[in-house]
Amino acid sequence: MTSLFTSVLKLCVATVVATTMMSGSLMAQTKEKFQVAWTIYVGWMPWDYAQQSGIIDKWAKKYGIQIEMVQVNDYVESINQYTAGKFDGCVMTNMDALTIPAAGGVDSTAVIIGDFSNGNDGIILKNKKSLAEIKGQNVNLVELSVSHYLLARGLESVGLKEKDIKVVNTSDADIVAAFASPEVTSLVTWNPQLSEIKAMKGASLVFDSSKIPGEIIDMLVLNTQTIQENPKLAKALTGAWYEMMGLMKTKDAKAIAAMAKASGTDVAGFNSQLKTTNMFYDAKDALSFTQSDALPKTMQKVSEFSYEHGILGDGAKDATFVGMAFPSGKTYGSTQNVKLRFTDEYMKLAAEGKL
Amino acid sequence: MKRLINQKPNRGNALLLGLLPFIILVIVYVFASHARLQENAEDKLLPSIAQMAQTMDKSALSPSKRSGEIIFWNDTLASLQRLGLGIGISATLGLMIGVPLGLIPLVRAGFSPFIAAFSMVPPIAILPILFIVFGMGEVAKVALIVIGVTPIIVRDLQHRVEEFPKEQLIKAQTLGASSWTLAVRIIIPQMMPRLLDAVRLTLGTAWIFLISSEAIAATEGLGYRIFLVRRYLAMDMILPYVLWITVLAFLADFILKKFTCKLFPWYAKKDSL
Amino acid sequence: MSLITIKNLWKRYGDNVVLENLSLEIKAGEFCTLVGPSGCGKSTFLKMLLGEESPSKGVFLFEGKPFPSEPSVERGIVFQRYSLFSHLSVLENVMLGIELGKSPFLGKLFGAAKKAAREEAVAMLEAVGLGSVLHHYPSELSGGMQQRLSIAQSLVKKPKLLLLDEPFGALDPGIRADMHALILDLWKKNNLTVVMVTHDLHEGFYLGTRLLVFDKVRNDPQAPNAFGAKITYDIPLLREKKEEKNDE
Repeated sequence: MTSLFTSVLKLCVATVVATTMMSGSLMAQTKEKFQVAWTIYVGWMPWDYAQQSGIIDKWAKKYGIQIEMVQVNDYVESINQYTAGKFDGCVMTNMDALTIPAAGGVDSTAVIIGDFSNGNDGIILKNKKSLAEIKGQNVNLVELSVSHYLLARGLESVGLKEKDIKVVNTSDADIVAAFASPEVTSLVTWNPQLSEIKAMKGASLVFDSSKIPGEIIDMLVLNTQTIQENPKLAKALTGAWYEMMGLMKTKDAKAIAAMAKASGTDVAGFNSQLKTTNMFYDAKDALSFTQSDALPKTMQKVSEFSYEHGILGDGAKDATFVGMAFPSGKTYGSTQNVKLRFTDEYMKLAAEGKL
Repeated sequence: MKRLINQKPNRGNALLLGLLPFIILVIVYVFASHARLQENAEDKLLPSIAQMAQTMDKSALSPSKRSGEIIFWNDTLASLQRLGLGIGISATLGLMIGVPLGLIPLVRAGFSPFIAAFSMVPPIAILPILFIVFGMGEVAKVALIVIGVTPIIVRDLQHRVEEFPKEQLIKAQTLGASSWTLAVRIIIPQMMPRLLDAVRLTLGTAWIFLISSEAIAATEGLGYRIFLVRRYLAMDMILPYVLWITVLAFLADFILKKFTCKLFPWYAKKDSL
Repeated sequence: MSLITIKNLWKRYGDNVVLENLSLEIKAGEFCTLVGPSGCGKSTFLKMLLGEESPSKGVFLFEGKPFPSEPSVERGIVFQRYSLFSHLSVLENVMLGIELGKSPFLGKLFGAAKKAAREEAVAMLEAVGLGSVLHHYPSELSGGMQQRLSIAQSLVKKPKLLLLDEPFGALDPGIRADMHALILDLWKKNNLTVVMVTHDLHEGFYLGTRLLVFDKVRNDPQAPNAFGAKITYDIPLLREKKEEKNDE
């Protein structure tokens, strides 16, 4: 019996070792098939339409690769899966790119800056008109998300600190219903929930992301190692994105209608969400945003916020623990540990029409 | 060699065989974690056991900077309190509804279809209504457990009462029992250990509802912490928490089982009657 | 006056006739044994005496009044199995009957009343030979002891009619003989009226003062349920000891 036991054990160990070694050796190969995760959000809907209409396939074929855009229903889960290595890329905000993949040691590159929130995120009070009145309240929001960051920036603007309020972690899926509950008197959320709640009785928007323009950024993030080995992936995706932006700039009715439907709203609803989103339809605009001095400053604020809330990881001694690189050699934080890179390389190619 | 079905392990081997799956799981984990960490030292998906211990020590078991509280015990206390209240209320309701439902044909005819239908409603799907009725605080969390668990206990108890030996019911009537004294002296005392059994079986469901309710809106609790730190893929915190929840669930089950044996010594032997 | 008066009694379920046109008188102090093949309606008849079933048609009187249509304290019952309260000790099983009678709301006695009930129950248990296992649970008793307890439970209520539904059917022969001695002894000492269903013809002859045989007289192979059972034999068993008792 005991010898059976030990032999079973040995067999198990051998299997495990063999499988982990095999999976390790597979990782280094150059690839032709790529998967990129996306989630429903106004600034990311173009990815869905680009896939549906064949624009992605067209550009992938041009570079001799295959790209699949995979829709994930849960935003955080999509980033977690990307961080764990299941996807080659994923759409996310600047803050989540720093705190999830980069802080998790996965070297990531923001290849396309798609837009920044210009009112898509906001703070709402019930039966109160000014932000300063938030003092002492329970604030419902998704803790450690961009909502939390927006709240911190809002509080700063009226001379309050986070300890002046109490944060109640509330799922974004339930936050609209939560506002109907009498106990909930203030909350922070994003669109489309924000516009739903704004329309409810007693709700007033006291602060939104248009007051901190360019700080909540939506972007396409790809695994740095993957694009170093396969730059074609970044080129194909960038090409597809700006072809798609061309359609949106001209208000292509078919594209808008399809995106509205896929995001669960109508054309009017989708357009009103676009209004509070500062889309970079032109590669040139995205390029100048990426090259500006404001971006490193924003990322410094985000990094400091993240460190204060303990989400840069246990290894972080201060906010500079995770290094970031910006175009033309600028960096922030540890140069030994650069894990988040903002590149202008591909957007520049797009602006110059060289893709 | 005897047939496989006739080979019985001795005590030592039985223990070894029982431990084997756990050992394999740990070995698989250690190897997989090691392989990932070699590729990326900052990998968060499968942290090493040492990393987990360190994180727990640093962020969960040391007094927090802001309030000086130890969040691990705070979370555990908050969750156990909600779970205990939810289960307690469910068990009481289960007894108060299940016994009349099983015992009194008029009540059964009136309410059994309603209870059967009500127990099919997934509470998570009607959350907005629950928010308005119960608010967003502690009451809502306990209510979610109660709504999720009570119908299961009610229906289980109803069936237990319906299965109750007819001979005992008739005998009690010939001894002068009214419907009321029959319930309080015969049915309910014999249902108590079965109620505890039902509670044990629904513990898993209760945990699920507890963790969902803490994911929806909370400031503390085991489920809250897991969903919060998931925001930055802190598996080094999530895995120990999951392990702790498993241990708590196992302990709750074990304690209830011991409690049943201690309190109702006749129950274990009932099958011979 | 007869304890039980039955005239032209029928029992049917839908088209299924179980008992047809039964007429019978049972006097106080009789020990009636009911025998017959299975499915002949003797159990249905016992259920009617118990109040679990009601007759479809006919006169059915207990002490000159219509039978109560649900079980009551006038009629005690001993089933073959399953009628002990498993959560109560032997003593509590017997005390329960007294407590239910005296405490209609709680079904529980306290203080002096409890002490009195306890003494009465102990006396009853000693009479059936269970004086040494007062604090055991029923599941810890042998089959014969369980039936002794079931009898004691019923007798403590001093029922006018004691119904026995194959009470010794599951017992070993030796133990069954002891139980026969016990039940005859109790019957004599307590002036009981007993109706007992048994499938053991020997037992029926041995215990009863009167043996009633249930059987179907008419049988239609095309419609086996069209005819019910009757009492085909009603045999007085006039043995000496029983005569003496009946004369008392």
